[in-house]
Amino acid sequence: MTTTMYADEVAPCPPRAGTLYDVLELILDRGMVIDVFIRVSLVGIEILKIDARIVVASVDTYLRFAEACNRLDLERDSGSTTIPELLGGGAAKSIGKRKVRKAAESVGDTVRKAVGSGDDEDEDEQEERPKKRRAPARDGASRRRRAEA
Amino acid sequence: MTENGVYVYAFIPEGEVLSADAVGVGSPPAPLRLVGEGRVIAVVSDAPPQLRARRRDLMAHQEVLLRLSDSGPVLPMRFGAIAPDEESVRAQLSGSQAELLATLSHLEGAVEINLKALPAQNALAAVIAEEKNVRRLRAAVRRRPDYEANVRLGEAVATALSRRAADAGKKVLHKLTPMARAVVPGPEVHGCALNVSFLVDRSESDTFRATAQRFADAHRERVELRVAGPLPCYSFVSSQNLRTPVAGG
Repeated sequence: MTTTMYADEVAPCPPRAGTLYDVLELILDRGMVIDVFIRVSLVGIEILKIDARIVVASVDTYLRFAEACNRLDLERDSGSTTIPELLGGGAAKSIGKRKVRKAAESVGDTVRKAVGSGDDEDEDEQEERPKKRRAPARDGASRRRRAEA
Repeated sequence: MTENGVYVYAFIPEGEVLSADAVGVGSPPAPLRLVGEGRVIAVVSDAPPQLRARRRDLMAHQEVLLRLSDSGPVLPMRFGAIAPDEESVRAQLSGSQAELLATLSHLEGAVEINLKALPAQNALAAVIAEEKNVRRLRAAVRRRPDYEANVRLGEAVATALSRRAADAGKKVLHKLTPMARAVVPGPEVHGCALNVSFLVDRSESDTFRATAQRFADAHRERVELRVAGPLPCYSFVSSQNLRTPVAGG
Protein backbone atom coordinates (compact mmCIF):
# COMPACT_ATOMS: atom_id res chain seq x y z
CA MET A 1 0.00 0.00 0.00
CA THR A 2 1.85 3.05 1.15
CA THR A 3 5.27 3.29 -0.33
CA THR A 4 7.72 5.96 -1.17
CA MET A 5 9.35 6.06 -4.51
CA TYR A 6 12.56 7.72 -5.39
CA ALA A 7 13.38 9.29 -8.66
CA ASP A 8 16.76 7.74 -8.99
CA GLU A 9 17.81 6.07 -5.80
CA VAL A 10 16.99 2.89 -4.04
CA ALA A 11 15.14 3.62 -0.84
CA PRO A 12 17.59 3.28 2.05
CA CYS A 13 14.98 1.91 4.44
CA PRO A 14 11.94 -0.35 4.27
CA PRO A 15 8.92 1.32 2.68
CA ARG A 16 7.12 2.03 5.96
CA ALA A 17 10.11 3.72 7.49
CA GLY A 18 10.74 5.54 4.26
CA THR A 19 7.20 6.77 4.36
CA LEU A 20 7.60 8.22 7.82
CA TYR A 21 10.80 9.87 6.74
CA ASP A 22 9.06 11.67 3.91
CA VAL A 23 5.81 12.55 5.65
CA LEU A 24 7.04 13.53 9.08
CA GLU A 25 6.07 17.15 8.62
CA LEU A 26 2.54 16.12 7.67
CA ILE A 27 2.10 14.00 10.79
CA LEU A 28 3.44 16.82 12.96
CA ASP A 29 2.05 19.88 11.17
CA ARG A 30 -1.12 18.76 9.46
CA GLY A 31 -4.10 16.77 10.67
CA MET A 32 -6.95 18.04 12.74
CA VAL A 33 -6.34 20.12 15.84
CA ILE A 34 -8.97 20.54 18.55
CA ASP A 35 -8.41 23.53 20.78
CA VAL A 36 -9.56 21.89 23.99
CA PHE A 37 -7.23 18.94 23.56
CA ILE A 38 -3.69 19.21 24.80
CA ARG A 39 -1.00 18.87 22.22
CA VAL A 40 2.09 16.91 23.15
CA SER A 41 5.13 19.09 23.50
CA LEU A 42 7.46 18.89 20.55
CA VAL A 43 10.36 20.25 22.51
CA GLY A 44 13.19 17.77 22.40
CA ILE A 45 11.58 15.88 19.55
CA GLU A 46 13.74 13.30 17.88
CA ILE A 47 13.72 15.10 14.60
CA LEU A 48 14.09 12.83 11.63
CA LYS A 49 15.42 15.18 9.08
CA ILE A 50 13.88 15.07 5.68
CA ASP A 51 17.17 14.44 4.08
CA ALA A 52 20.88 14.80 4.54
CA ARG A 53 21.12 15.83 0.93
CA ILE A 54 19.73 19.30 1.19
CA VAL A 55 21.50 22.05 -0.62
CA VAL A 56 22.85 24.28 2.07
CA ALA A 57 23.65 27.83 1.10
CA SER A 58 26.98 28.37 2.75
CA VAL A 59 30.46 29.19 1.64
CA ASP A 60 31.55 25.71 2.60
CA THR A 61 28.94 24.13 0.35
CA TYR A 62 29.83 26.50 -2.46
CA LEU A 63 33.47 25.53 -2.25
CA ARG A 64 32.57 21.88 -2.46
CA PHE A 65 30.42 22.53 -5.50
CA ALA A 66 33.23 24.48 -7.08
CA GLU A 67 35.68 21.73 -6.35
CA ALA A 68 33.39 19.19 -7.94
CA CYS A 69 32.98 21.43 -10.96
CA ASN A 70 36.70 21.79 -11.34
CA ARG A 71 37.14 18.10 -11.01
CA LEU A 72 34.65 17.36 -13.75
CA ASP A 73 36.95 18.33 -16.58
CA LEU A 74 39.78 16.22 -15.24
CA GLU A 75 37.88 13.08 -14.62
CA ARG A 76 36.22 10.86 -17.05
CA ASP A 77 33.24 9.51 -15.21
CA SER A 78 32.15 12.59 -13.45
CA GLY A 79 28.50 11.86 -14.11
CA SER A 80 28.48 9.97 -10.86
CA THR A 81 29.31 13.00 -8.77
CA THR A 82 26.39 13.28 -6.41
CA ILE A 83 25.50 15.91 -3.91
CA PRO A 84 25.85 13.50 -0.97
CA GLU A 85 29.43 13.02 -2.00
CA LEU A 86 29.94 16.73 -2.29
CA LEU A 87 28.57 17.27 1.17
CA GLY A 88 30.90 14.55 2.28
CA GLY A 89 30.73 12.17 5.13
CA GLY A 90 28.02 9.87 6.37
CA ALA A 91 25.22 10.56 3.95
CA ALA A 92 27.26 9.66 0.94
CA LYS A 93 26.56 6.26 -0.40
CA SER A 94 29.57 4.10 -0.82
CA ILE A 95 30.71 3.80 -4.32
CA GLY A 96 32.97 1.32 -6.00
CA LYS A 97 36.71 1.51 -5.82
CA ARG A 98 37.50 0.56 -9.33
CA LYS A 99 40.28 2.53 -10.79
CA VAL A 100 39.68 4.95 -13.55
CA ARG A 101 40.30 3.12 -16.73
CA LYS A 102 41.54 5.72 -19.11
CA ALA A 103 43.45 8.89 -19.07
CA ALA A 104 41.50 12.08 -18.85
CA GLU A 105 40.09 13.40 -22.07
CA SER A 106 39.57 16.93 -23.21
CA VAL A 107 37.12 19.10 -21.34
CA GLY A 108 34.48 19.06 -24.03
CA ASP A 109 34.63 15.32 -24.47
CA THR A 110 34.37 14.70 -20.78
CA VAL A 111 31.37 16.88 -20.26
CA ARG A 112 29.60 15.60 -23.31
CA LYS A 113 30.29 12.10 -22.21
CA ALA A 114 29.13 12.70 -18.66
CA VAL A 115 25.91 14.26 -19.85
CA GLY A 116 25.28 11.60 -22.39
CA SER A 117 26.15 8.56 -20.39
CA GLY A 118 24.18 9.39 -17.28
CA ASP A 119 25.36 7.83 -14.09
CA ASP A 120 28.04 5.29 -14.01
CA GLU A 121 27.75 4.90 -10.29
CA ASP A 122 30.38 2.26 -9.86
CA GLU A 123 33.19 4.43 -10.97
CA ASP A 124 35.48 5.72 -8.32
CA GLU A 125 35.91 9.41 -7.75
CA GLN A 126 39.60 10.04 -7.87
CA GLU A 127 40.94 13.11 -6.21
CA GLU A 128 42.65 15.51 -8.52
CA ARG A 129 44.08 18.92 -8.05
CA PRO A 130 43.08 21.56 -10.49
CA LYS A 131 45.45 22.06 -13.41
CA LYS A 132 47.39 18.86 -12.90
CA ARG A 133 47.29 15.57 -14.59
CA ARG A 134 46.22 12.58 -12.62
CA ALA A 135 48.79 10.78 -10.57
CA PRO A 136 48.69 7.00 -10.80
CA ALA A 137 45.45 5.96 -9.15
CA ARG A 138 45.70 4.84 -5.58
CA ASP A 139 43.14 2.96 -3.65
CA GLY A 140 40.62 5.69 -3.06
CA ALA A 141 42.12 6.86 0.24
CA SER A 142 42.46 10.43 -0.85
CA ARG A 143 39.31 10.86 -2.79
CA ARG A 144 37.59 13.34 -0.50
CA ARG A 145 40.52 15.62 -0.02
CA ARG A 146 39.49 19.19 -0.49
CA ALA A 147 41.04 21.40 -3.08
CA GLU A 148 43.24 23.95 -1.52
CA ALA A 149 41.11 27.03 -1.56
CA MET B 1 -10.11 6.49 34.05
CA THR B 2 -6.60 7.05 32.77
CA GLU B 3 -4.30 9.41 34.57
CA ASN B 4 -2.48 10.57 31.43
CA GLY B 5 -5.55 11.43 29.43
CA VAL B 6 -6.96 10.02 26.21
CA TYR B 7 -4.90 9.98 23.03
CA VAL B 8 -7.11 10.78 20.02
CA TYR B 9 -6.11 9.34 16.63
CA ALA B 10 -8.98 10.13 14.34
CA PHE B 11 -12.66 10.68 13.79
CA ILE B 12 -14.55 8.18 11.66
CA PRO B 13 -18.19 7.66 10.70
CA GLU B 14 -20.32 5.52 12.96
CA GLY B 15 -20.54 1.87 12.01
CA GLU B 16 -16.82 1.36 11.49
CA VAL B 17 -15.31 -1.28 13.73
CA LEU B 18 -11.79 -1.85 14.99
CA SER B 19 -10.02 -5.16 14.76
CA ALA B 20 -9.71 -6.71 18.20
CA ASP B 21 -5.93 -6.50 18.26
CA ALA B 22 -5.62 -2.91 17.08
CA VAL B 23 -3.07 -0.96 19.12
CA GLY B 24 -1.63 2.54 19.12
CA VAL B 25 1.05 4.63 20.79
CA GLY B 26 3.00 3.74 23.91
CA SER B 27 5.22 0.93 25.05
CA PRO B 28 3.68 -1.56 25.29
CA PRO B 29 1.26 -0.26 22.65
CA ALA B 30 -2.09 0.75 24.11
CA PRO B 31 -5.21 -1.02 22.80
CA LEU B 32 -7.52 1.15 20.70
CA ARG B 33 -11.15 1.81 21.50
CA LEU B 34 -14.01 3.85 20.12
CA VAL B 35 -15.68 6.75 21.89
CA GLY B 36 -18.98 8.39 21.04
CA GLU B 37 -22.56 7.54 20.20
CA GLY B 38 -23.43 10.00 17.46
CA ARG B 39 -22.87 9.73 13.74
CA VAL B 40 -19.17 10.42 14.18
CA ILE B 41 -16.98 8.46 16.58
CA ALA B 42 -13.44 8.93 17.82
CA VAL B 43 -10.65 6.35 17.78
CA VAL B 44 -8.69 6.67 21.01
CA SER B 45 -6.42 4.86 23.43
CA ASP B 46 -5.04 5.60 26.85
CA ALA B 47 -2.24 8.13 26.49
CA PRO B 48 1.16 6.88 27.62
CA PRO B 49 3.01 8.84 30.29
CA GLN B 50 5.45 11.41 28.93
CA LEU B 51 4.40 11.12 25.35
CA ARG B 52 6.89 12.68 22.97
CA ALA B 53 7.32 12.57 19.22
CA ARG B 54 9.38 9.41 19.24
CA ARG B 55 9.88 7.51 16.06
CA ARG B 56 8.01 4.53 17.50
CA ASP B 57 4.97 6.59 18.43
CA LEU B 58 4.93 8.54 15.17
CA MET B 59 4.91 5.23 13.31
CA ALA B 60 2.15 3.90 15.55
CA HIS B 61 0.02 6.99 14.92
CA GLN B 62 0.56 6.72 11.18
CA GLU B 63 -0.11 2.99 11.18
CA VAL B 64 -3.45 3.36 12.99
CA LEU B 65 -4.55 5.97 10.47
CA LEU B 66 -3.43 3.92 7.49
CA ARG B 67 -5.40 0.92 8.70
CA LEU B 68 -8.46 3.01 9.32
CA SER B 69 -8.29 4.56 5.89
CA ASP B 70 -8.30 1.10 4.34
CA SER B 71 -11.87 0.63 5.50
CA GLY B 72 -13.46 4.04 5.08
CA PRO B 73 -13.11 7.81 5.37
CA VAL B 74 -10.94 9.04 8.22
CA LEU B 75 -10.39 12.46 9.71
CA PRO B 76 -6.82 12.20 11.02
CA MET B 77 -5.75 14.10 14.10
CA ARG B 78 -2.38 15.77 14.20
CA PHE B 79 0.14 13.70 16.14
CA GLY B 80 -0.03 14.11 19.89
CA ALA B 81 -3.61 15.24 20.61
CA ILE B 82 -4.57 14.32 24.16
CA ALA B 83 -8.01 14.90 25.63
CA PRO B 84 -8.34 15.16 29.41
CA ASP B 85 -10.92 12.35 29.45
CA GLU B 86 -13.50 10.55 27.32
CA GLU B 87 -16.17 12.98 28.42
CA SER B 88 -14.43 15.86 26.67
CA VAL B 89 -14.07 13.76 23.52
CA ARG B 90 -17.83 13.11 23.56
CA ALA B 91 -18.52 16.79 24.11
CA GLN B 92 -16.31 17.66 21.15
CA LEU B 93 -18.07 15.10 18.95
CA SER B 94 -21.54 16.32 19.74
CA GLY B 95 -20.51 19.96 19.49
CA SER B 96 -19.05 19.76 15.99
CA GLN B 97 -20.82 16.76 14.50
CA ALA B 98 -22.18 18.55 11.44
CA GLU B 99 -18.81 19.95 10.48
CA LEU B 100 -17.02 16.66 11.05
CA LEU B 101 -19.60 14.83 8.96
CA ALA B 102 -19.24 17.31 6.13
CA THR B 103 -15.46 16.90 6.06
CA LEU B 104 -15.72 13.10 6.26
CA SER B 105 -18.01 13.07 3.26
CA HIS B 106 -15.51 15.23 1.34
CA LEU B 107 -12.83 12.66 2.08
CA GLU B 108 -14.92 9.65 1.12
CA GLY B 109 -12.98 7.48 -1.32
CA ALA B 110 -9.97 9.81 -1.33
CA VAL B 111 -6.35 9.56 -0.26
CA GLU B 112 -3.58 12.10 0.15
CA ILE B 113 -0.48 11.92 -2.00
CA ASN B 114 2.45 14.12 -1.09
CA LEU B 115 4.99 15.30 -3.59
CA LYS B 116 8.35 16.82 -2.84
CA ALA B 117 10.71 18.26 -5.39
CA LEU B 118 14.38 18.44 -4.42
CA PRO B 119 17.44 19.52 -6.34
CA ALA B 120 18.62 16.69 -8.56
CA GLN B 121 21.40 14.59 -7.10
CA ASN B 122 23.33 13.60 -10.20
CA ALA B 123 22.97 16.76 -12.16
CA LEU B 124 26.31 18.51 -11.92
CA ALA B 125 27.36 17.63 -15.44
CA ALA B 126 23.98 18.69 -16.78
CA VAL B 127 24.20 21.97 -14.88
CA ILE B 128 27.57 22.71 -16.42
CA ALA B 129 26.39 21.73 -19.86
CA GLU B 130 23.17 23.72 -19.74
CA GLU B 131 23.83 26.72 -17.52
CA LYS B 132 25.71 29.50 -19.23
CA ASN B 133 26.50 31.37 -16.06
CA VAL B 134 28.04 28.31 -14.45
CA ARG B 135 30.13 27.63 -17.54
CA ARG B 136 31.38 31.19 -17.57
CA LEU B 137 32.35 31.18 -13.90
CA ARG B 138 33.96 27.81 -14.26
CA ALA B 139 36.08 29.08 -17.12
CA ALA B 140 37.08 32.05 -14.95
CA VAL B 141 38.17 29.73 -12.15
CA ARG B 142 40.22 27.70 -14.53
CA ARG B 143 41.95 30.78 -15.85
CA ARG B 144 42.63 32.08 -12.38
CA PRO B 145 41.85 29.76 -9.52
CA ASP B 146 41.25 31.70 -6.33
CA TYR B 147 38.98 31.62 -3.32
CA GLU B 148 36.52 34.28 -4.44
CA ALA B 149 36.10 32.80 -7.86
CA ASN B 150 35.46 29.37 -6.39
CA VAL B 151 32.83 30.73 -4.03
CA ARG B 152 31.10 32.48 -6.93
CA LEU B 153 31.18 29.32 -9.01
CA GLY B 154 29.83 27.17 -6.20
CA GLU B 155 27.09 29.64 -5.43
CA ALA B 156 26.06 29.69 -9.07
CA VAL B 157 25.88 25.90 -9.07
CA ALA B 158 23.76 25.83 -5.91
CA THR B 159 21.46 28.49 -7.29
CA ALA B 160 21.10 26.69 -10.59
CA LEU B 161 20.30 23.36 -8.89
CA SER B 162 17.56 25.00 -6.81
CA ARG B 163 16.10 26.94 -9.69
CA ARG B 164 16.03 23.91 -11.96
CA ALA B 165 14.24 21.91 -9.27
CA ALA B 166 11.74 24.71 -8.68
CA ASP B 167 11.00 25.05 -12.41
CA ALA B 168 10.50 21.33 -12.80
CA GLY B 169 8.34 21.35 -9.67
CA LYS B 170 6.06 23.95 -11.23
CA LYS B 171 5.73 21.84 -14.33
CA VAL B 172 4.86 18.66 -12.51
CA LEU B 173 2.39 20.55 -10.32
CA HIS B 174 0.71 21.86 -13.44
CA LYS B 175 0.54 18.36 -14.85
CA LEU B 176 -0.80 16.63 -11.74
CA THR B 177 -3.26 19.24 -10.49
CA PRO B 178 -6.01 18.32 -12.98
CA MET B 179 -5.83 14.73 -11.71
CA ALA B 180 -6.56 15.72 -8.11
CA ARG B 181 -9.73 16.70 -6.26
CA ALA B 182 -7.82 19.32 -4.32
CA VAL B 183 -4.28 20.58 -3.88
CA VAL B 184 -2.68 22.29 -0.89
CA PRO B 185 0.88 23.39 -0.20
CA GLY B 186 2.63 21.37 2.49
CA PRO B 187 4.60 22.77 5.40
CA GLU B 188 7.91 24.37 4.56
CA VAL B 189 10.62 21.73 4.43
CA HIS B 190 14.18 22.95 4.30
CA GLY B 191 15.82 22.04 1.03
CA CYS B 192 12.58 21.26 -0.82
CA ALA B 193 11.85 23.31 -3.92
CA LEU B 194 8.25 22.16 -3.72
CA ASN B 195 6.20 20.38 -1.10
CA VAL B 196 2.58 19.86 -2.01
CA SER B 197 -0.22 17.45 -1.16
CA PHE B 198 -2.92 16.23 -3.51
CA LEU B 199 -6.32 14.81 -2.61
CA VAL B 200 -6.78 11.99 -5.08
CA ASP B 201 -9.50 9.40 -5.65
CA ARG B 202 -8.27 6.16 -4.17
CA SER B 203 -9.00 4.41 -7.45
CA GLU B 204 -6.82 6.96 -9.29
CA SER B 205 -3.86 6.86 -6.96
CA ASP B 206 -1.87 4.31 -8.98
CA THR B 207 -2.33 6.30 -12.16
CA PHE B 208 -1.39 9.45 -10.32
CA ARG B 209 1.80 7.94 -8.98
CA ALA B 210 2.70 6.48 -12.35
CA THR B 211 2.30 9.89 -13.97
CA ALA B 212 4.56 11.44 -11.35
CA GLN B 213 7.11 8.68 -11.86
CA ARG B 214 7.17 9.22 -15.62
CA PHE B 215 7.78 12.89 -15.08
CA ALA B 216 10.54 12.09 -12.56
CA ASP B 217 12.23 9.77 -15.05
CA ALA B 218 12.09 12.31 -17.81
CA HIS B 219 13.45 15.16 -15.67
CA ARG B 220 15.97 13.44 -13.47
CA GLU B 221 18.70 15.86 -14.45
CA ARG B 222 16.63 18.74 -13.14
CA VAL B 223 14.76 17.46 -10.13
CA GLU B 224 14.45 14.61 -7.71
CA LEU B 225 10.79 13.91 -7.06
CA ARG B 226 9.60 12.04 -4.02
CA VAL B 227 6.09 10.79 -3.96
CA ALA B 228 4.60 9.49 -0.73
CA GLY B 229 1.21 7.91 -0.54
CA PRO B 230 -1.52 6.89 -0.46
CA LEU B 231 -1.60 8.59 2.94
CA PRO B 232 -4.30 9.46 5.44
CA CYS B 233 -5.71 12.85 4.43
CA TYR B 234 -3.69 14.90 6.92
CA SER B 235 -3.70 18.00 4.77
CA PHE B 236 -7.42 18.00 3.99
CA VAL B 237 -9.04 17.89 7.41
CA SER B 238 -10.79 21.21 7.10
CA SER B 239 -13.69 21.51 4.70
CA GLN B 240 -12.52 25.07 4.03
CA ASN B 241 -9.22 24.10 2.51
CA LEU B 242 -10.65 21.64 0.05
CA ARG B 243 -10.89 24.26 -2.66
CA THR B 244 -7.77 26.21 -1.86
CA PRO B 245 -5.60 26.56 -4.94
CA VAL B 246 -1.88 26.23 -4.56
CA ALA B 247 -0.25 29.60 -4.28
CA GLY B 248 2.42 30.23 -6.87
CA GLY B 249 3.86 26.74 -6.94
